[in-house]
Amino acid sequence: MSMDERELDALLARVREETPADAGAAERFLAWHRAEQGMTAPLAARARATFWPTLLACAAVLTGVLMLRPAPALPASAAYDAYQGALGEGW
Amino acid sequence: MRRPVLLAALLWAGGGAQASDTDVLLTALQQAQTLAARGTAEVSVFFPPRSVPTRQTNALPVVPFRPALIAAHFTVKRSEAPPLAGRDVTRFDLTPKVGQAARWTIWVDRTWNVPLAFEERMPDGTLARRAVFTSVRAQPARVQRPLLPVPAGLRAAVLAALPGVRFPPGFTPTAVKTRGNGLEITLSDGINVLALVIAPRGVRAAPGVASRRVGHRFVWLVGNLPDAPLRSALAGIQTVDEGELGTFLTTGDSNT
Repeated sequence: MSMDERELDALLARVREETPADAGAAERFLAWHRAEQGMTAPLAARARATFWPTLLACAAVLTGVLMLRPAPALPASAAYDAYQGALGEGW
Repeated sequence: MRRPVLLAALLWAGGGAQASDTDVLLTALQQAQTLAARGTAEVSVFFPPRSVPTRQTNALPVVPFRPALIAAHFTVKRSEAPPLAGRDVTRFDLTPKVGQAARWTIWVDRTWNVPLAFEERMPDGTLARRAVFTSVRAQPARVQRPLLPVPAGLRAAVLAALPGVRFPPGFTPTAVKTRGNGLEITLSDGINVLALVIAPRGVRAAPGVASRRVGHRFVWLVGNLPDAPLRSALAGIQTVDEGELGTFLTTGDSNT
Protein backbone atom coordinates (compact mmCIF):
# COMPACT_ATOMS: atom_id res chain seq x y z
CA MET A 1 0.00 0.00 0.00
CA SER A 2 2.83 2.36 -0.81
CA MET A 3 2.14 5.72 -2.45
CA ASP A 4 4.04 6.83 -5.51
CA GLU A 5 5.30 10.40 -5.94
CA ARG A 6 2.28 11.49 -7.98
CA GLU A 7 -0.21 10.38 -5.41
CA LEU A 8 1.81 12.04 -2.59
CA ASP A 9 1.97 15.35 -4.47
CA ALA A 10 -1.79 15.26 -4.98
CA LEU A 11 -2.39 14.63 -1.27
CA LEU A 12 -0.17 17.54 -0.21
CA ALA A 13 -1.83 19.80 -2.75
CA ARG A 14 -5.26 18.98 -1.25
CA VAL A 15 -3.99 19.71 2.22
CA ARG A 16 -2.71 23.12 1.18
CA GLU A 17 -6.06 24.15 -0.27
CA GLU A 18 -8.29 26.30 2.06
CA THR A 19 -11.62 24.73 2.96
CA PRO A 20 -14.75 26.34 4.44
CA ALA A 21 -13.79 24.91 7.84
CA ASP A 22 -10.64 27.05 7.82
CA ALA A 23 -12.49 30.33 7.37
CA GLY A 24 -12.37 32.52 10.55
CA ALA A 25 -10.20 30.07 12.50
CA ALA A 26 -7.76 32.81 13.49
CA GLU A 27 -10.58 35.05 14.73
CA ARG A 28 -12.08 32.23 16.75
CA PHE A 29 -8.71 31.50 18.38
CA LEU A 30 -8.12 35.15 19.22
CA ALA A 31 -11.59 35.54 20.63
CA TRP A 32 -11.05 32.48 22.87
CA HIS A 33 -7.62 33.73 23.98
CA ARG A 34 -8.98 37.15 24.95
CA ALA A 35 -11.81 35.54 26.87
CA GLU A 36 -9.30 33.44 28.82
CA GLN A 37 -7.24 36.51 29.74
CA GLY A 38 -10.38 38.37 30.80
CA MET A 39 -11.27 35.53 33.18
CA THR A 40 -7.88 35.16 34.85
CA ALA A 41 -6.70 38.76 35.22
CA PRO A 42 -9.48 39.95 37.64
CA LEU A 43 -8.98 36.84 39.80
CA ALA A 44 -5.30 37.62 40.31
CA ALA A 45 -6.13 41.25 41.07
CA ARG A 46 -8.78 40.18 43.56
CA ALA A 47 -6.33 37.80 45.26
CA ARG A 48 -3.77 40.59 45.57
CA ALA A 49 -6.42 42.94 46.92
CA THR A 50 -7.53 40.57 49.72
CA PHE A 51 -4.17 39.02 50.66
CA TRP A 52 -2.64 41.94 52.60
CA PRO A 53 -5.68 42.98 54.65
CA THR A 54 -6.21 39.35 55.65
CA LEU A 55 -2.60 39.00 56.66
CA LEU A 56 -2.75 42.24 58.65
CA ALA A 57 -5.97 41.18 60.35
CA CYS A 58 -4.45 37.83 61.33
CA ALA A 59 -1.38 39.62 62.73
CA ALA A 60 -3.60 42.00 64.72
CA VAL A 61 -5.65 39.12 66.15
CA LEU A 62 -2.49 37.22 67.08
CA THR A 63 -0.99 40.28 68.75
CA GLY A 64 -4.21 40.87 70.67
CA VAL A 65 -4.35 37.29 71.86
CA LEU A 66 -0.72 37.43 73.00
CA MET A 67 -1.24 40.76 74.79
CA LEU A 68 -4.50 39.83 76.49
CA ARG A 69 -3.54 36.27 77.40
CA PRO A 70 -2.95 36.10 81.17
CA ALA A 71 0.68 35.57 82.13
CA PRO A 72 1.33 31.97 83.16
CA ALA A 73 1.03 31.27 86.88
CA LEU A 74 4.22 31.39 88.91
CA PRO A 75 5.53 28.17 90.46
CA ALA A 76 4.45 27.38 94.02
CA SER A 77 7.99 28.21 95.18
CA ALA A 78 7.13 31.91 94.71
CA ALA A 79 4.32 31.54 97.24
CA TYR A 80 6.54 29.62 99.65
CA ASP A 81 9.19 32.35 99.36
CA ALA A 82 6.61 34.91 100.50
CA TYR A 83 5.61 32.68 103.42
CA GLN A 84 9.24 32.03 104.33
CA GLY A 85 9.79 35.79 104.58
CA ALA A 86 7.00 36.04 107.16
CA LEU A 87 8.21 33.16 109.34
CA GLY A 88 11.05 35.01 111.08
CA GLU A 89 14.83 34.68 110.86
CA GLY A 90 16.64 31.39 111.00
CA TRP A 91 14.06 28.96 109.59
CA MET B 1 3.94 47.11 136.46
CA ARG B 2 2.76 45.70 133.15
CA ARG B 3 3.07 42.05 134.20
CA PRO B 4 0.78 42.19 137.26
CA VAL B 5 -1.79 44.13 135.25
CA LEU B 6 -1.69 41.50 132.51
CA LEU B 7 -1.98 38.70 135.05
CA ALA B 8 -4.94 40.40 136.73
CA ALA B 9 -6.66 40.86 133.39
CA LEU B 10 -6.12 37.23 132.44
CA LEU B 11 -7.35 36.03 135.83
CA TRP B 12 -10.44 38.16 135.48
CA ALA B 13 -11.08 37.02 131.91
CA GLY B 14 -10.41 33.33 131.95
CA GLY B 15 -10.24 31.56 135.27
CA GLY B 16 -7.39 30.62 137.55
CA ALA B 17 -5.33 27.68 136.24
CA GLN B 18 -5.71 28.52 132.54
CA ALA B 19 -4.78 32.20 133.02
CA SER B 20 -1.79 31.21 135.10
CA ASP B 21 -0.38 28.89 132.45
CA THR B 22 -0.83 31.53 129.77
CA ASP B 23 0.81 34.19 131.89
CA VAL B 24 3.79 32.01 132.76
CA LEU B 25 4.35 31.31 129.06
CA LEU B 26 4.00 34.96 128.07
CA THR B 27 6.54 35.92 130.71
CA ALA B 28 9.02 33.50 129.13
CA LEU B 29 8.31 34.82 125.63
CA GLN B 30 8.87 38.35 126.87
CA GLN B 31 12.15 37.27 128.43
CA ALA B 32 13.18 35.75 125.07
CA GLN B 33 13.21 39.23 123.54
CA THR B 34 16.38 40.04 125.47
CA LEU B 35 17.85 36.65 126.47
CA ALA B 36 18.48 33.51 124.39
CA ALA B 37 20.18 30.16 124.90
CA ARG B 38 23.14 29.27 122.68
CA GLY B 39 24.57 25.88 121.76
CA THR B 40 23.75 23.34 119.07
CA ALA B 41 20.21 23.19 117.76
CA GLU B 42 18.56 21.00 115.18
CA VAL B 43 16.08 22.83 112.97
CA SER B 44 13.63 20.88 110.79
CA VAL B 45 11.17 22.46 108.37
CA PHE B 46 8.67 20.28 106.51
CA PHE B 47 6.33 23.13 105.58
CA PRO B 48 7.12 25.07 103.49
CA PRO B 49 8.65 22.05 101.72
CA ARG B 50 12.38 22.14 101.00
CA SER B 51 14.92 19.73 99.59
CA VAL B 52 16.95 19.43 102.81
CA PRO B 53 14.52 19.80 105.71
CA THR B 54 16.93 19.47 108.64
CA ARG B 55 20.04 21.46 109.50
CA GLN B 56 22.07 22.47 112.53
CA THR B 57 22.37 25.96 113.99
CA ASN B 58 23.79 27.54 117.13
CA ALA B 59 20.52 29.21 118.16
CA LEU B 60 16.78 28.71 117.86
CA PRO B 61 15.14 30.45 114.90
CA VAL B 62 13.00 33.50 115.58
CA VAL B 63 9.27 33.00 116.03
CA PRO B 64 7.35 36.30 115.90
CA PHE B 65 5.32 35.67 119.05
CA ARG B 66 2.63 38.23 119.78
CA PRO B 67 1.63 37.84 123.43
CA ALA B 68 -1.72 39.65 123.25
CA LEU B 69 -2.87 37.53 120.29
CA ILE B 70 -1.65 34.33 121.96
CA ALA B 71 -3.68 35.17 125.07
CA ALA B 72 -6.74 35.84 122.92
CA HIS B 73 -6.55 32.91 120.50
CA PHE B 74 -4.83 29.98 122.22
CA THR B 75 -5.56 27.66 125.08
CA VAL B 76 -2.28 27.15 126.96
CA LYS B 77 -1.62 24.05 129.03
CA ARG B 78 1.51 23.69 131.15
CA SER B 79 2.97 20.29 132.05
CA GLU B 80 6.08 18.56 133.32
CA ALA B 81 8.59 17.30 130.77
CA PRO B 82 11.82 15.29 130.81
CA PRO B 83 15.08 17.33 130.70
CA LEU B 84 16.09 18.75 127.36
CA ALA B 85 19.77 19.15 126.42
CA GLY B 86 20.54 18.37 130.04
CA ARG B 87 18.37 21.18 131.43
CA ASP B 88 15.10 21.14 133.34
CA VAL B 89 12.22 22.41 131.26
CA THR B 90 8.50 23.08 131.44
CA ARG B 91 6.31 22.10 128.50
CA PHE B 92 3.55 24.39 127.19
CA ASP B 93 0.97 23.10 124.70
CA LEU B 94 -0.87 25.78 122.73
CA THR B 95 -4.12 24.86 120.97
CA PRO B 96 -6.12 27.34 118.87
CA LYS B 97 -9.47 28.17 120.43
CA VAL B 98 -11.11 28.40 116.98
CA GLY B 99 -10.21 27.48 113.41
CA GLN B 100 -7.73 25.01 111.99
CA ALA B 101 -4.45 26.79 112.67
CA ALA B 102 -1.37 24.83 113.65
CA ARG B 103 -0.81 23.93 117.30
CA TRP B 104 2.46 24.52 119.08
CA THR B 105 4.52 23.03 121.86
CA ILE B 106 7.16 25.17 123.57
CA TRP B 107 9.75 23.88 126.06
CA VAL B 108 10.97 26.59 128.43
CA ASP B 109 14.12 26.42 130.57
CA ARG B 110 13.05 26.57 134.23
CA THR B 111 16.04 28.62 135.34
CA TRP B 112 16.65 30.99 132.43
CA ASN B 113 12.93 31.22 131.56
CA VAL B 114 13.60 31.18 127.79
CA PRO B 115 12.57 28.61 125.15
CA LEU B 116 14.89 25.66 124.48
CA ALA B 117 12.67 24.08 121.83
CA PHE B 118 9.46 24.55 119.93
CA GLU B 119 7.40 22.50 117.58
CA GLU B 120 4.58 23.32 115.14
CA ARG B 121 2.11 20.62 114.18
CA MET B 122 -0.79 20.65 111.75
CA PRO B 123 -4.26 19.87 113.12
CA ASP B 124 -3.85 16.22 112.07
CA GLY B 125 -0.63 15.96 114.08
CA THR B 126 1.79 16.15 111.13
CA LEU B 127 5.00 17.93 112.05
CA ALA B 128 5.47 21.22 110.18
CA ARG B 129 8.49 22.75 111.97
CA ARG B 130 10.68 21.87 114.91
CA ALA B 131 13.67 23.53 116.51
CA VAL B 132 15.34 21.92 119.48
CA PHE B 133 18.63 22.34 121.31
CA THR B 134 20.69 19.17 121.48
CA SER B 135 23.27 20.89 123.69
CA VAL B 136 23.46 24.32 125.30
CA ARG B 137 26.29 26.51 126.55
CA ALA B 138 26.60 27.22 130.24
CA GLN B 139 25.23 30.74 129.96
CA PRO B 140 22.52 32.33 127.79
CA ALA B 141 23.35 35.32 125.61
CA ARG B 142 21.91 38.83 125.65
CA VAL B 143 19.93 39.58 122.46
CA GLN B 144 17.77 42.38 121.11
CA ARG B 145 14.59 41.13 119.50
CA PRO B 146 12.07 43.93 119.97
CA LEU B 147 8.59 43.07 118.83
CA LEU B 148 7.42 45.43 116.11
CA PRO B 149 4.05 46.87 117.08
CA VAL B 150 1.05 46.37 114.81
CA PRO B 151 0.41 49.69 113.04
CA ALA B 152 -2.80 51.30 114.24
CA GLY B 153 -5.55 51.06 111.64
CA LEU B 154 -3.84 48.33 109.59
CA ARG B 155 -6.72 45.87 109.88
CA ALA B 156 -9.26 48.43 108.66
CA ALA B 157 -6.94 49.46 105.82
CA VAL B 158 -6.51 45.85 104.65
CA LEU B 159 -10.28 45.36 104.74
CA ALA B 160 -10.67 48.54 102.65
CA ALA B 161 -7.96 47.44 100.19
CA LEU B 162 -9.49 43.98 99.76
CA PRO B 163 -13.24 44.40 100.38
CA GLY B 164 -14.81 41.01 101.03
CA VAL B 165 -11.65 39.35 102.39
CA ARG B 166 -12.32 37.12 105.39
CA PHE B 167 -9.33 36.56 107.64
CA PRO B 168 -9.11 32.92 108.79
CA PRO B 169 -10.34 32.55 112.40
CA GLY B 170 -7.88 34.07 114.86
CA PHE B 171 -5.70 35.82 112.26
CA THR B 172 -5.28 39.56 111.88
CA PRO B 173 -2.91 41.75 109.80
CA THR B 174 0.30 42.66 111.61
CA ALA B 175 2.53 44.06 108.85
CA VAL B 176 2.56 45.07 105.19
CA LYS B 177 5.39 45.71 102.76
CA THR B 178 5.92 46.09 99.03
CA ARG B 179 6.91 42.99 97.10
CA GLY B 180 8.04 43.60 93.52
CA ASN B 181 4.99 44.99 91.71
CA GLY B 182 2.70 44.01 94.52
CA LEU B 183 2.20 43.87 98.27
CA GLU B 184 2.71 41.33 100.99
CA ILE B 185 0.54 41.46 104.10
CA THR B 186 1.48 39.33 107.10
CA LEU B 187 -1.38 37.85 109.11
CA SER B 188 -0.73 36.45 112.57
CA ASP B 189 -2.71 34.62 115.25
CA GLY B 190 0.03 35.21 117.79
CA ILE B 191 2.38 32.42 116.62
CA ASN B 192 1.34 31.18 113.19
CA VAL B 193 1.66 33.49 110.22
CA LEU B 194 0.06 33.67 106.80
CA ALA B 195 1.32 35.61 103.78
CA LEU B 196 -1.45 37.49 101.97
CA VAL B 197 0.03 38.64 98.66
CA ILE B 198 -1.31 41.02 96.01
CA ALA B 199 0.59 40.31 92.77
CA PRO B 200 0.37 40.89 89.01
CA ARG B 201 0.52 37.13 88.38
CA GLY B 202 -1.13 34.08 89.88
CA VAL B 203 0.65 31.20 91.52
CA ARG B 204 0.14 27.49 90.97
CA ALA B 205 -1.96 25.59 93.47
CA ALA B 206 0.02 23.61 96.02
CA PRO B 207 -0.36 22.51 99.64
CA GLY B 208 -0.85 25.63 101.74
CA VAL B 209 -1.22 27.89 98.69
CA ALA B 210 -4.43 29.50 97.38
CA SER B 211 -4.53 32.02 94.55
CA ARG B 212 -7.41 33.89 92.97
CA ARG B 213 -7.74 36.48 90.20
CA VAL B 214 -9.55 39.67 91.23
CA GLY B 215 -9.91 42.12 88.33
CA HIS B 216 -6.47 42.68 86.86
CA ARG B 217 -4.65 41.50 90.01
CA PHE B 218 -4.09 38.19 91.78
CA VAL B 219 -4.40 37.57 95.50
CA TRP B 220 -2.53 34.67 97.15
CA LEU B 221 -2.85 33.32 100.65
CA VAL B 222 -0.02 31.09 101.82
CA GLY B 223 0.43 29.30 105.11
CA ASN B 224 -0.01 26.23 107.23
CA LEU B 225 -3.77 25.90 106.88
CA PRO B 226 -5.94 23.39 104.99
CA ASP B 227 -7.03 24.42 101.48
CA ALA B 228 -10.66 25.11 102.46
CA PRO B 229 -10.02 27.99 104.91
CA LEU B 230 -7.35 29.44 102.60
CA ARG B 231 -9.75 29.51 99.64
CA SER B 232 -12.66 30.66 101.77
CA ALA B 233 -10.64 33.68 102.93
CA LEU B 234 -10.18 34.84 99.33
CA ALA B 235 -13.53 33.79 97.89
CA GLY B 236 -15.44 36.96 98.77
CA ILE B 237 -12.89 39.56 97.64
CA GLN B 238 -14.66 41.93 95.27
CA THR B 239 -11.87 44.23 94.18
CA VAL B 240 -8.28 45.22 94.91
CA ASP B 241 -7.43 48.78 95.91
CA GLU B 242 -3.79 48.86 96.97
CA GLY B 243 -3.91 52.63 97.45
CA GLU B 244 -5.69 52.06 100.77
CA LEU B 245 -2.42 50.63 102.17
CA GLY B 246 -0.10 53.34 100.87
CA THR B 247 0.59 54.93 104.24
CA PHE B 248 1.67 51.61 105.80
CA LEU B 249 4.13 50.50 103.14
CA THR B 250 7.75 49.64 103.66
CA THR B 251 10.00 48.26 100.94
CA GLY B 252 10.45 44.48 100.96
CA ASP B 253 13.55 42.53 100.05
CA SER B 254 12.11 40.34 97.34
CA ASN B 255 11.88 41.19 93.67
CA THR B 256 9.27 38.59 92.85
